[in-house]
Amino acid sequence: MNPNRMQNALFAVGDYVGGLLIGGATAAAVRGLVSPETDMVVAMIIGMTVGMILHLAIGLLLTPALGMFHAMIPGSLIGMYGGMLFAMRDSMQAHTGSLGHAVGIGVAFGILMIAAMHLYDRALRGPVPVHPS
Amino acid sequence: MDLALQAKWDRTSRTYGLLTWGEERRFGAAKQRLFAEMEGRCLMAAAGTGVDFPHFRPGLTITAIDVSPGMIEQARDRAAAYPGSLTLQVMDLQALQFADTTFDTAVTSCTLCSVPDPLRGLRELYRCLKPRGRLLMFEHVRSRIGPIALLQDVMTFITRRIGPDLNRDTVSNVVRAGFELRRETNVYLDIVKAIEARRPA
Repeated sequence: MNPNRMQNALFAVGDYVGGLLIGGATAAAVRGLVSPETDMVVAMIIGMTVGMILHLAIGLLLTPALGMFHAMIPGSLIGMYGGMLFAMRDSMQAHTGSLGHAVGIGVAFGILMIAAMHLYDRALRGPVPVHPS
Repeated sequence: MDLALQAKWDRTSRTYGLLTWGEERRFGAAKQRLFAEMEGRCLMAAAGTGVDFPHFRPGLTITAIDVSPGMIEQARDRAAAYPGSLTLQVMDLQALQFADTTFDTAVTSCTLCSVPDPLRGLRELYRCLKPRGRLLMFEHVRSRIGPIALLQDVMTFITRRIGPDLNRDTVSNVVRAGFELRRETNVYLDIVKAIEARRPA
């Protein structure tokens, strides 16, 4: 395989590993902090905050290898919006699924978000129409 | 000279190489394409540790400045390895000590995210460029996608303490400083961009 393609493939694998780590860690932390007795609004604020903190911590560790933008931008979407979604779920249902199930959903959410970001990046990449100034 | 700014970037200079290792590999090719257009007498604003010097084509005459003596110190080996003339100076982009219309090309690389007053910095670049002089920028900017822009705003509260702002509207600032925007290319999402502008004749 040509070295550039190999490098791009390794970076893509790294992006997915980062996404699944942030998604799984956020889901696990939210499951530990939010119970069905928690008010949904409070739960979502907790989820968002926890997701932001975890994404910053994990993103900072991954930044040297993946680059700040590829580690932080998708990570922040997964942490902040994922944290809110997981918290909404955990405040609404009586924890019918196990912790492993919750983490699995977090991991799947992380992978899905990374795939979406890769697609979005492909769509946006390239020249932007410039209007004469 | 802004001493607080200098101290911040001196601290960051110790880990800058490590933090930008992946980024350099991901964005290196895009930088090389952009900087291939440098010509004549060139100014590089905020050279950092000199990670961009290997992307410059050989044989140019370049003056590279940075506000941080720590960054300049780390850039020395890369400057010495450049196959052309590359001199380093500690200088604030917001108060350039060059005469008007000195340079043919000015380049920036993740610079306008770190300058306290980006418009003032751009006006200084405008002043020091010759008429029809080119400004080549590799910069990250605030996204135009609402949810991502919101996250950049939130993260900037933290990142500006150790390094850059993530939510600068650099493309608009280039136009506000008087430049003609010639080309804008998205390199990653609509956040990391290669920008070409020109000082009007």
